[in-house]
Amino acid sequence: MAQQPAPGGLLEPVRQSVRVRRPIDAAFELFTRDIGSWWPVGTHHARGEVVGVVFEGRLGGRIYERCRDGETADWGEVLAWDPPRRVVFSWVLSVRQGAPTEVEVRFTAEDATTTRVEVEHRGWERLGGLATETRASYLNGWPLVMRLFLEAAGTA
Amino acid sequence: MAPSSDAVLDALGDRTRRTVLERLRDGPLPVVAIAKDLPVSRPAVSQHLKVLKDAGLVVDRQEGTRRIYAIDPSGLALLRAYVEAFWQGVLMTYARAAEAAMPLDVEQ
Repeated sequence: MAQQPAPGGLLEPVRQSVRVRRPIDAAFELFTRDIGSWWPVGTHHARGEVVGVVFEGRLGGRIYERCRDGETADWGEVLAWDPPRRVVFSWVLSVRQGAPTEVEVRFTAEDATTTRVEVEHRGWERLGGLATETRASYLNGWPLVMRLFLEAAGTA
Repeated sequence: MAPSSDAVLDALGDRTRRTVLERLRDGPLPVVAIAKDLPVSRPAVSQHLKVLKDAGLVVDRQEGTRRIYAIDPSGLALLRAYVEAFWQGVLMTYARAAEAAMPLDVEQ
């Protein structure tokens, strides 16, 4: 049988990081309130035909896309707002229809003009809900299948 | 061809294929059991199973005259790769916007 990754490892947070030449305050502001100026909406969206992305920079604030037809689609909600060092939000964009996963973005000043930005996407163990057909998207089946795989991996 | 996260996501884009996967939740099944009461023909189910297999989502084995299908747990690794690529794309775009990107190695 082919070697399988350990189930525990598959539940570990997904982490990505980048270093940018911006002071920490500006780096934080760009990632959050100015998200609409750079987010790759062409490939990373919920409904598509996106004309704007809104990040409400406060605890409980919504993160959502505004679409050409006037509709909006939620991406998540701010769970921790600690500028300029940290923001945590629930996340349904790439894993919709299960329980929301969680994203934490941490900002660390390496010097006055350089900031390290780390993204941690976690909460895979929460994906337990059965998918229901509410949105036409090729990502719809993801939480369901994630759960199926976790169960299969857990009993392998 | 090696399975890719694109193939995984494309394979999941079909409701019948998701139903097929769900039926395998409790364990391996032969095609006839998978196809039971589905509103599509047996050949169509077989075709769906082939797509799922090509995407690395199920594995099959021959048992006598029956072909038995099961969920392939390693498919989760592909989906993790998809999420990693998702954020990698986001951060690269972010870094370009911030001007002068110096991407770090991916942390595992």
